[in-house]
Amino acid sequence: MSDIVSIIQRVLGDVDLVLGWTATGAGGVAAPARFQTAAEAERAVFNATCVHNLAVHLPRLKDQTVGIVAKGCDSRSVAQLIQEREIDRDRVKVIGVRGLGGSIDVRKIWRFHGYGVPVDARTDSLFIDGKEVDRQEFLRQKCLGCRDMDPVIYDELFEASGSSITGIADAATVETALSETGLGTSLTAAEAMSAAGEDESRPLGELFAKMNSAERRLFWREQYSRCIRCYACREACPMCFCRDVCIMQTTDPHWTGAGVDAGEAEMMQLIRVNHLAGRCTGCGECERACPVGIPLMLLMNKQNQVIEELFGYRAGTDLEARPPLLTFDIKGDSRSEK
Amino acid sequence: MTTVVQAGVKATDPLRPEPAKVIEVIAETANIKTFHIAFDEPSLMEAFTFLPGQIGQLGILGAGESTFAISSAPSGRDGIEFSVMKTGVVTSAIHELRAGDPVAVRAPLGCAFPTDDWRGKNIVLVGGGIGMAPLRSLLFYLLDNRGDYGDLTLVYGARTPEDLCYADNRRDWEERPDLDFTATIDTVCSTWDGCVGLVPSVVEEKAPSPDNSVAVTCGPPIMIRYALESLEKMGFREEQVYTTLERRMKCGIGLCGRCNLGPKYVCTDGPVFSLTELRALPNGL
Amino acid sequence: MKFLAGENIPELLEKLSLLSEVWAPRELRGSGGTVMFERWRSGDPLDLEHFASLSAKDMVLPRTEKLFGFSYAFGGAAVGNPFGAPAESAGGIPATAGESIRITAAEPAGNVVLFGARACDAKALTVLDALFDQTDGKGYNDPQYRARRAGLTVITLACVTSDPACFCSSFENGTAEKAGSDLILYPVDGGFLAEAVTPKGETVIESGVNSRNKVGSARGPGDSDPETGEAASGLTLFEESALETPVLAVTAKVEGLEGLRQKLAAIFDDLEFWQAETEKCISCGYCTYACPTCHCFNIHDEMRGDREGVRLRSWDACMFHLYTQETSGHNPRPTLAHRYRNRINHKFSYYPENQGEILCTGCGRCIRGCPVGLDIRDVLRQAVECSASPGEGGDR
Repeated sequence: MSDIVSIIQRVLGDVDLVLGWTATGAGGVAAPARFQTAAEAERAVFNATCVHNLAVHLPRLKDQTVGIVAKGCDSRSVAQLIQEREIDRDRVKVIGVRGLGGSIDVRKIWRFHGYGVPVDARTDSLFIDGKEVDRQEFLRQKCLGCRDMDPVIYDELFEASGSSITGIADAATVETALSETGLGTSLTAAEAMSAAGEDESRPLGELFAKMNSAERRLFWREQYSRCIRCYACREACPMCFCRDVCIMQTTDPHWTGAGVDAGEAEMMQLIRVNHLAGRCTGCGECERACPVGIPLMLLMNKQNQVIEELFGYRAGTDLEARPPLLTFDIKGDSRSEK
Repeated sequence: MTTVVQAGVKATDPLRPEPAKVIEVIAETANIKTFHIAFDEPSLMEAFTFLPGQIGQLGILGAGESTFAISSAPSGRDGIEFSVMKTGVVTSAIHELRAGDPVAVRAPLGCAFPTDDWRGKNIVLVGGGIGMAPLRSLLFYLLDNRGDYGDLTLVYGARTPEDLCYADNRRDWEERPDLDFTATIDTVCSTWDGCVGLVPSVVEEKAPSPDNSVAVTCGPPIMIRYALESLEKMGFREEQVYTTLERRMKCGIGLCGRCNLGPKYVCTDGPVFSLTELRALPNGL
Repeated sequence: MKFLAGENIPELLEKLSLLSEVWAPRELRGSGGTVMFERWRSGDPLDLEHFASLSAKDMVLPRTEKLFGFSYAFGGAAVGNPFGAPAESAGGIPATAGESIRITAAEPAGNVVLFGARACDAKALTVLDALFDQTDGKGYNDPQYRARRAGLTVITLACVTSDPACFCSSFENGTAEKAGSDLILYPVDGGFLAEAVTPKGETVIESGVNSRNKVGSARGPGDSDPETGEAASGLTLFEESALETPVLAVTAKVEGLEGLRQKLAAIFDDLEFWQAETEKCISCGYCTYACPTCHCFNIHDEMRGDREGVRLRSWDACMFHLYTQETSGHNPRPTLAHRYRNRINHKFSYYPENQGEILCTGCGRCIRGCPVGLDIRDVLRQAVECSASPGEGGDR
């Protein structure tokens, strides 16, 4: 088994730069970094705070050959970018990470232990300020019930040998589980939310699943009312590579108003969700980057689930697959009823 | 920097435009029109003053506003003119305007050419394409105050004869004995019997003396670059050369943060800059 | 100084909210612990422990504000098609003689009490005043900013603790900064010592007099008159106190900020430096939106139907590509490196040169919330270091 430094150094023989991490964030957590030389790569680390999906940089680095350290979930973004021909398979070397055992929600640590507290987040244990804590408690929500422990594509493999993950994350399971909890469906958004606020361990998705459509509408209005239109969700998304011709900012045509209010924000987010139908790999970077904590993945996860049910498709899990909503086959079965 | 003039735009509410109307639309070229506009409020029109080089925001409420040089004569009392090249959303909407249509105007903004400091000097104007707009206003001013200045030279060029603006003015300028005017086009053309050649080379051929002179150049960036080279070759020093700059602007009053070159804002510290000022700025020229 | 018991804060806010909007930090529901300044209404919780994710600049420069409304007079379709595509004839713009437009001022902003700001938030307001409220006659005044500012009362919570992202001590007064605050609350046992810095702050203390002393309140002697709600004379939420003010926190200090303008000028053209500093940046814009001093804005029109509309001003960010993009396609700041260079220079060179204030108060929000862990202090330190040895790009 090779350590991450020597793998990166090896890959640097084939590419211009490698995207990875150094332990230079507050309290020793990981921060993204680029390595161009073997000497620079000496600083590379891999641990459970390597939460960032570095695939977001790939469409911006098309003029170079790039190596990328990719967790299982990140590798789906790389694969989807290749499927959409946004990047060239031959110009990217993927260092896949296997068996991470889930990554750590650093913000949650900061919230309860203070920003910048020393964090030692190994793949099988977690120390905060020198004291070992229950790792499971600080796992990112999206890592619970992970289905992407193994990278989809890789040229090199880094074995992280992390602990196993328990817990549930996907909405389908949530709904089954909830039907047994006896939670009524008559919750108002506010009640639902205050219940969520009182019990941190209960995923928002659980409560959301129990809301009726009017309650959901109320819920989203409240959430979107604090959107500041900073577009961090878009910029953090590896699949939002339209960049400067994004529909949210074009004035010709003028699709969404630029005013900042819940209605416009809702419009903007619904457009964004639609544009990512069958393309979202569920990495959750949009939600992580949102400065006002809007649970953007609730809607995205729901859509991903529906797409999987309808088309049997999970974005970025098969290089050969054609994304369902990027397909228009006039002679295909879908037109046979005509 | 140069003379600061801020009369006109409401000091109390600088982002609020004044309702105005299009009086006349003159099609200059295939993609440039000049809009003669007047404020709805007659007292405002009477009190309106500006100096050459200043800019204004011309807009259509609902479509937005854009920054343009004022191209008319500062002495004109019946309105102000903006020459607008059709390039984007706002300028396309402006190009649809007809006489009588309502517009909204914030003017004047920015600093003017330091014409007071230039009294007694020879003035060389070097313009290209739409860049003639501020020079036209300046030329009107100099001709209105002809006795205060020495020799006046104007070289104005465009790609083809059809790309030259201000046909009526050009006839007047050609006839004036107190102005040395040359219109030039880039390449030979059957409908043109005038001067042919790129603006900077024509300026070099005319070779106005740098002694006691000021040169002002405005046009496409590439033309400005070569014109500056030519002027320096002819002996013009940095402090004798002026230009006006264009940047994307929103507020026009130094708040919104777009148009700065280093610490200087094109909307308030400019758009007129001397070459000395520009070269002192990071990324100036 | 006066003492305000912690348990009396809701009552104080309630009194203040009779005359003004009250904004205070609280944790938002369903936000994973995001704390923001929000409109406070009776019964709302407060979070005075955590630092708000966004600054309080909303109070003077709202995310979106109406600059004015406008309407077209009758007769025909009214306005050039704001959707860009030419409508049937002449872009839909009528040439009806006499047709005109009416411009209506935005509704005046009401008074606001901002409760629970920190010294860095309050100081930022005075930094913005230097640009938006220029009394020297050289610049423009912004009437809407000034109206909001005049109607704003800032009650600051002095910092006795800080976190590693804070760096206000890099600047003159650090946590002891009083500029921009009207009333400062110093945390002490069981409550706060209140120091009025301005007449507005005095007014807040005065408004605590004649407590209504509601049923169930733990207030002391002097029962209130149930008819008027007026308390017996002399009863106040603020009591005289001989307690000493607590020791304030000392935050991180970035060294070498003296003469930073020259140092930044020395590395202005070292684009490799700026590229290295921004390599992990994903240009999400959070740093500018969260910043208490970043104030760049966009202006845009929105139509309601084809006859009426509003001109709005909204926050914008210098880190966006489109921010300086010109119609011709030319962009004077074409890359992230160019844009970040302008951002840093604007804060630490241009603004101090033009307005005499550093456009940063060390609140640390851009550090705490950056999704990729970019730390502006590292950039400043590197800038200081690199300018000391120009030409040495470093081994980055």
